[in-house]
Amino acid sequence: MLDIKNLNASIDGKKILQNFNLKINKGEVHAIMGPNGSGKSTLANVLAGRKGYEIEGKVLYEDENLLELPIEERAQKGIFLAFQYPIEIPGVNTNNFLKTSLNATLKFKGLKELDSLDFLKLVKEKSKNLKIEEKILSRQLNVGFSGGEKKKNEILQMTILEPKLAILDETDSGLDIDALKIVSEGVNSLRNNGRSFLIITHYQRLLDYIKPDFVHVLVNGKIVKTGSSDLALELEKDGYEGVSAIK
Amino acid sequence: MNLKFEEFQKKNISFEELDNIRKKSFQKFETQGFPTKKQEHWKYTDLKNIINNNFENLQIFKDDKNSPYNDKLIIKNFDHNKIILLNGNFIEANFAFEDKKKIKIKSLKAIFENKKDFEKIKDYFEDDQNSLISLNHALTNDGFILEIEDNYLFSKPLVIYNFFDKAAESKIINNKIFILLGKESSLSLVDFYRCENNIKYFNNTIHNYTIKKNAIFKKFSINDNLDNSYIYNSVNVKSYSNSVYENFLLSLGPNLIKNEIHCNLLENFSSCFVNGIMLLNGDQHHELKTNVNHKYENCKSSQLIKSVLLDKSSGTYQGKIYVDKRAQKTNGYQLSKALILSENSEFNSKPELEIYADDVKCSHGSTTGNIDEDSIFYLMARGLTRDQANKMIVEGFLNEAIETITEPNIKILILKLFNKRINNVNV
Repeated sequence: MLDIKNLNASIDGKKILQNFNLKINKGEVHAIMGPNGSGKSTLANVLAGRKGYEIEGKVLYEDENLLELPIEERAQKGIFLAFQYPIEIPGVNTNNFLKTSLNATLKFKGLKELDSLDFLKLVKEKSKNLKIEEKILSRQLNVGFSGGEKKKNEILQMTILEPKLAILDETDSGLDIDALKIVSEGVNSLRNNGRSFLIITHYQRLLDYIKPDFVHVLVNGKIVKTGSSDLALELEKDGYEGVSAIK
Repeated sequence: MNLKFEEFQKKNISFEELDNIRKKSFQKFETQGFPTKKQEHWKYTDLKNIINNNFENLQIFKDDKNSPYNDKLIIKNFDHNKIILLNGNFIEANFAFEDKKKIKIKSLKAIFENKKDFEKIKDYFEDDQNSLISLNHALTNDGFILEIEDNYLFSKPLVIYNFFDKAAESKIINNKIFILLGKESSLSLVDFYRCENNIKYFNNTIHNYTIKKNAIFKKFSINDNLDNSYIYNSVNVKSYSNSVYENFLLSLGPNLIKNEIHCNLLENFSSCFVNGIMLLNGDQHHELKTNVNHKYENCKSSQLIKSVLLDKSSGTYQGKIYVDKRAQKTNGYQLSKALILSENSEFNSKPELEIYADDVKCSHGSTTGNIDEDSIFYLMARGLTRDQANKMIVEGFLNEAIETITEPNIKILILKLFNKRINNVNV
């Protein structure tokens, strides 16, 4: 599904990712943990296509050179980034945005676009699962949403768009326990053989709910350790410094 | 330019008093000429220059023959009363949805035939510093007076159709419109402009509204149609106790518009709301100038103007809130936000507060900037193309002002016109 080879990314000459390598197969759930400033969000942004980075290396996504694809095509081809800080866009109706986004993807796949009625039915069902109040969907996109509502809205978008590769950038931050559970259930319900996840987090807590197949420790732009989900527990105990020193 | 005033006056001889006002006003205009950017209020709209650059031979409109108007231009699927002006001439009024006993309307031409009627509006022909007002006094050829009795609520909106046809080519057309809304009455008014065949004209209209106690007057100024017109519109409002004046401006179409709104809050608890959008491209130049005068205690005013500028267009918002020393407990607010989408476009914003009372709550804000790249990235990361993302953001940005419209049916109409325009613009 995704094969990252010797990826280097820097911003204004400052190196953030250094010879980063990672392979994610279909159906796998990978977690990347790391301290502040280790390059976690940069990785997510580079994969989604955010501008402003100097990039070297290679990223293959379904055997295609991902780095050459424009942002929207990456999304249409099934890459989804759940933002750490979802953007507030005043005046844009959330439902309308969701519909435009879904239809852009459907159109790309050569599928029939949904009309308003079918779309609302779909949203109703999906938002119910995530315990999202319907009325927030008629509000302006992320404007005035609480931290939890914003994150749930990201997961709602994910469940509607049904991506092949979902990248969750610190989706757990700012969530209370109840919301964390709901969000995790949302993610778990999407897990299947054809769909992969890259979960970026500071804390092991989220991984109690979403069991990863692999845990990687990212320090200074490099993976310094890879293990099973037990590695997360180890991190919790010894901290990033302890674990990366063991190496 | 050589406006042939004598010729105009010969054709429009009435009673001496009016003839003299016209003559005096025209002399005043001639001494001053069209306003230039040297005048503070015209700093951002150099009208003299604009007129000289766009009209080779501007003439006074004199065609009295009323050709039929194009009734295809009437708004469809929208129940409304109508007043039709063609090239500024009053053609007809139709209050099909109302109790006609409660409504009086008379054309200005008819008023001008009768000295006694004229007495009622004589005060509105006062001298003014603004030479366009003098010009309007001198050359007004028609318009109307609409009087609505006390305790009458309009059941449907009233649309004023300002139609212009080929007889208006290279003409300056001056009108006056008077509306008196009685106590406890309400009216929603749509001021709607349409011109066909790319006729180039200059329209100078002065509106005078009187809003009596507890009355509600909502006005929607719709300039949506892309055309070759040059428009100056001055609205003067007198608001009495506990009355509401709302004015929404859809400023999208013509080459030039300068809209002025002078609202005088004269008695307790009266309020004034001015909201609107500008979406300009090409060489368009639109200005909104507001003057909200809080002259009494406990009055409220609020303004929200959102503008998007493309190509070589320019927009201006000059908003002034004046608070008289007796106007304690004033609540005044204004906000202007503009998105500049081309390096050749410009937006000027000049908020002004002039406050002489000490117990007031007034605020103003103004921002001008580009589309936020983080927002674009967010939308593109959800599969939208850059164009789609831009458009969605611009639409949302302007929508915030459209959302302030409190009349559902008119909101639908305005959204329809707005969508048509934004779909024809490359944002």
